Amino acid sequence: MSHKRLALLWALVVCLLVGHNAWLWLGKGIVPDTDILALLPLDERDPVLQQSFTHMVDSAQQRVVVLVGAQEWLDAGRAADAYRAVLAPHGALLDFDAVGDDAQAGWLAGLQRHASLLVGAEQERQLRSQPGSFWMESALARAYGAFGGPKLGAFRDDPFGLFAGWMQERAGETPVRPRDGRLFVEGEGRQYVLLTYTLKQNAFSLGAQTALTPLLDEAKAAAAKAVPSAEVIQAGVVLHAAAAGRQASREIHTIGVGSLVGIVLLTWLTFRSVKPIALIVLAIAIGFLGSLSVCWLLFGRIHLLTLVFGASLIGVAQDYGIYFLCHRLGADPHLDSPRLLRRLLPGLGLTLLAAVIGYLGLALTPFPGLRHMAVFSALGLVFAWLTVVCWFPALIGPRTLQAGWLARRYRGLAARWPRFSAQPASLAFAVALAVLIAAGCARLGVNDDIRSLQSSPAALVRDQIKLGKLLDAPSPVQYYLVRGASNEEVLQREEALKGRLDGLIAQGHIKGYQALSNWVPSLRTQAARLTLVDTALLAGEGPLAQLAQAIGEDAEWVAATRAHLRTNAVPLRLDDFLRTSASEPWRHLWLGQVDGQYASIVALRGMRYASIPTLSTAAAGMAGVQWVDKVGGISSVLGRYRAWMGWVVLGAYGVVFLVLLPRYRGRTWRVLAPTAVASLLTLALLGLTGQSLQLFHVLALMLLLGVGVDYGIFMQEEHERGIDAPWLAVGLSAASTILSFGLLALSNTPALQAFGSTMLAGTALVWLGAPCFTVTKEEVHAAPVLA
Amino acid sequence: MKRIFSALLFAAACASANAAAPIARIQAMLAKPDQLCGRFEQTKQLAGMKKPLVSSGRFCVVAGKGVLWRTLKPFPNTLRLKKDEIVHLQGERVSMRLDASQEPTVRMINGVLFSLLAGDLGQLETLFEVDGSVNDGGWKVALKARSAALARAIGTISLDGAAYVRTIHMNEESGDKTDIVFSEIKTGPASLLPEEAALL
Repeated sequence: MSHKRLALLWALVVCLLVGHNAWLWLGKGIVPDTDILALLPLDERDPVLQQSFTHMVDSAQQRVVVLVGAQEWLDAGRAADAYRAVLAPHGALLDFDAVGDDAQAGWLAGLQRHASLLVGAEQERQLRSQPGSFWMESALARAYGAFGGPKLGAFRDDPFGLFAGWMQERAGETPVRPRDGRLFVEGEGRQYVLLTYTLKQNAFSLGAQTALTPLLDEAKAAAAKAVPSAEVIQAGVVLHAAAAGRQASREIHTIGVGSLVGIVLLTWLTFRSVKPIALIVLAIAIGFLGSLSVCWLLFGRIHLLTLVFGASLIGVAQDYGIYFLCHRLGADPHLDSPRLLRRLLPGLGLTLLAAVIGYLGLALTPFPGLRHMAVFSALGLVFAWLTVVCWFPALIGPRTLQAGWLARRYRGLAARWPRFSAQPASLAFAVALAVLIAAGCARLGVNDDIRSLQSSPAALVRDQIKLGKLLDAPSPVQYYLVRGASNEEVLQREEALKGRLDGLIAQGHIKGYQALSNWVPSLRTQAARLTLVDTALLAGEGPLAQLAQAIGEDAEWVAATRAHLRTNAVPLRLDDFLRTSASEPWRHLWLGQVDGQYASIVALRGMRYASIPTLSTAAAGMAGVQWVDKVGGISSVLGRYRAWMGWVVLGAYGVVFLVLLPRYRGRTWRVLAPTAVASLLTLALLGLTGQSLQLFHVLALMLLLGVGVDYGIFMQEEHERGIDAPWLAVGLSAASTILSFGLLALSNTPALQAFGSTMLAGTALVWLGAPCFTVTKEEVHAAPVLA
Repeated sequence: MKRIFSALLFAAACASANAAAPIARIQAMLAKPDQLCGRFEQTKQLAGMKKPLVSSGRFCVVAGKGVLWRTLKPFPNTLRLKKDEIVHLQGERVSMRLDASQEPTVRMINGVLFSLLAGDLGQLETLFEVDGSVNDGGWKVALKARSAALARAIGTISLDGAAYVRTIHMNEESGDKTDIVFSEIKTGPASLLPEEAALL
C-alpha cells in the first residue's frame, strides 16, 4: 500500500474516533467515576457498604455549616441575621435550612403513646438496683416540687420521671439547642448561632464553587460589620473543593503557562518551527481519544483516576514523533520521508513494544483501576504510534525542518560525554553511586495515608476542626455498619454493640454514639422494659401504691394511673418513628432494605484518632456488625495499588529485557541501565529528602521506565551519521518531559508534587546517564547483533 | 414552673421586644433588691387527683448567685439554681444534678426562673408576650409564650405584685395547675438565714 493511501485510511479512523468521542461527551454526557472505592476488586465491593457511604458522605457533601459567635447571645443573633441577609436572595444556589418551630411543638406528642416504654439507660439500671422507697420518694418530690427537673405532659403521664430522663438522654446526643427561634451552641466562652445551608448544585461543580466563594466572603464581612467582635466559622466540602480549584487554576496559570512556553521555545530553537510540537500534541491527542473510545466500548465506564493516570502514561508517545523529527533533521535531504521512516521502523517498533508490554503488566493485577489503566495507556500508545507512522512522513518533507540554534550547539555534546567502562575511575564512581543508593533507599519509608494527600488551606482545616468540636458532630467516615434479616434483628444487634461501646465510653475512646435504637429500642427490649416498669413500680403495693398513700389518694387513683401508664405502652415501631418529625436528624442512620437485608449505622461522637485500632476490633465476633473506616479504606486501596504497581514496574524491567534481548544481545543491559540507575537514584533522593513513598511516586517510575527505555533504544540503535540524531531526540524528549511533567514538582497539590518531583529527578538522570552507556560503532560490530 | 424547664430544653421561641407602656410602669414599681428572701405557700392541683398538694417553705433570690427554693413541709426538699447548674437535694442527698456542660440550656432556664421570681419583665419579654395592667398600688401580668412549642408545654402564667412579686399562677395545657403565694418578704444581707447562705 502506498504511504498516501495509508495516511488517508488513518484519517478515516481518526474521523471515527473524533465522532465517537463527540458523541460520548456531548451527546451521551458521560461522567467519569470518582469514588476511589470503586477501584477495589469486584469481589471486595459491598453494595450495603456503598449505600452507607452514600448516606453518610453524600448528604454531608452538599452541606454548608456556619457558626456565628459572639460574647453575648443577642450580638451573635444580630451578626447571624446580617450573615443570613446576604445569602437570602441566593436561595437557588444555597438554601437555608429553616428551624421548624411548629413542627417541634408537635413532635413530642407523637411519642406520648409509647412513653412508658422509653426509659433512659441510667434509670433502667436504677430500676433494677434501687428499692421501691427510692422511686416513691422521687415521685413524691416530683409531685410537690416547683421545678422538679425535666417534665413532659402532666404529672400522671410520667410520675417517676422515666420518660423525661430518656428525653434528657436523647437531648444529650447533640449540644445544639433551639433558642429564640435559632439554633444555639455554646463553647469556648462564646455563644454561637448555628446556620445550616444546603447547596443546590453539586459541590464539585465549578460553577457552584466560583459563585459561592465571594458570596460567603461577603456574608462573613456583613456579620463582622454588624458585630465587629463576631466570629464566623464556615465549613463544607464545597469550600475545600473551591480552595483546591483555586489552587489548581493558580498553578495552571504559572506551571502550565511556564511549561507551554518552555516547550514551544525549545521546539523553535531546535527546528526553527513550531509545527513539530503541534504534530506531537496531535499524535498524543489521537492516542487519548482512541483509547477513551475503545475503553468505553470495552468496559462501559471509565474512572477519573484511569483517565488522569492513563493520560500521563500516554505522554511517552511524544518520543515516537521526536525520534522521527530528529532523524529527519539530521538525514540526507535526498532521502524522502517514507523511506526514512522505513529505516527507523525497527527502533520505533521496539520502543512501542517495550512500553506496551510494560504497561500491560498492570492488567495482571486484580484491581479494575489498574487493568483499565493498562488497556487505556497501551491503546493510547498504539494510536499515537500509528499516527506518527501514518501521518508524519506525509506531513514532514525532507526540507520542512531546519536545525535551529539549540540543535547546532547541542549535537556535539554526546561525543565528548564520559563513558562508563571498566576503568578504575568509572568503577569508583559506580561504587560511590551504589553506596548513595543504598543509604537513600534504606531511609525511604512508605505512607499511603489519604490525609497526607490533603492540601486544604490551614485556616479551612482549623475551622473544620473547631466546628466539629463545638457541634460534637459524629465522624462521617468512621462508624459501625449493622445488618440483619429484619428491622428487629438490626435493632437487637445495635443494642448488643452499644453494650460494648459503653465500655469504650468509660475508657475515653469515644464520647458517645448515635443510633436509631437509642430512639426505638428493639421490640424485645421494649417488652423487657414494660415488664421491668410493671414489676418495679406499678404492681401490687409497690412505689405507685405507696405514693398514693403519701399524697392521700385512694386505690381508685392507683388503678386509674396504672391503667393510664399501661395505655402509654403501645410498642414503638421503627417505621412509625421514621415517619415522625422527631426522626428527621437521625434518618440518615437508617439504610433500610439493601440487597435483601436491613442495615443501619451507629455513628460515634468525640472519637479519638488514636482509638481507631481499638474501635476497629471492638465489634469482633458480633454477628452482622462491621467497623467501617472510609479514610482507612481509601488509604489501603492506595497502598495496595502502590504495592502492585511497584511489582509491575519490576516485572516490566524483566519483560522489556527479554523483548530487547534478540536485537541487542550482550548490549541489552545498556538499554535498561540508564533508566534503572536513574530510578534507583531517584528513590534514594526521595529517601534522603525525607519523603515517604506513595502511589504517585511509583506511577512516575512506571512512566520513567516508558521514556527511559525509549532513550536507551534510541542511543543503542545503529546510525549512519553517529549518535547526533538520537542524542538530539533524547534531549528534546527529556527536556519536554521535564517541562510537562517535571514542573509539577512545583505544585502545592501533594499528589502532583510527588509525581512531578520523581519525573523531574528521574528524567534528568536518565538523560544525563544515557550517553554513558553508549558504545562506538567498532564496539557494536565486534559483538554479534541480530539485524 | 417545671414546664418552663422542659419546654426550654426542646422548644424554641421567637424574640421581639416591644414593651407596652404598662410594662415600663410595672418595672418602675418593682424594687429589684440584690437579695430577697421570703416564705412561699404552693398549691398544686394535678390532673386526675382529687386533693390538691399543698407545700410551703422558704425561698431566696440573690442577684449574681442564684435561687434557693426550700420546701419545708410536708417534707424537706431543696432546689438550688446557680449560674451553671441545677441541683436537687432530697434531704442531704443530691437526687439530681444538671450542669451547663451536660445541658447547654441550664443557663437560660436559670435566667428565666430568676426573672420570674424577681419579676424582671424585661428579660421575660424575650420569651413571652407580656400583657400587664396597673391598679392602685399593684400590678397584674399575664405571660403568653411567643412560640407554639413553649405555649404547648407550659400553658399560661400570670403574676401579680407590687414592689415584689406576690403570687404566681400557672395553668398547664396538660391540666396540672400551680399556685404560689409569697409572704414575709425581706431584703438585704440579713434576709438570708445562715444555712441558706451556706447553700448558695
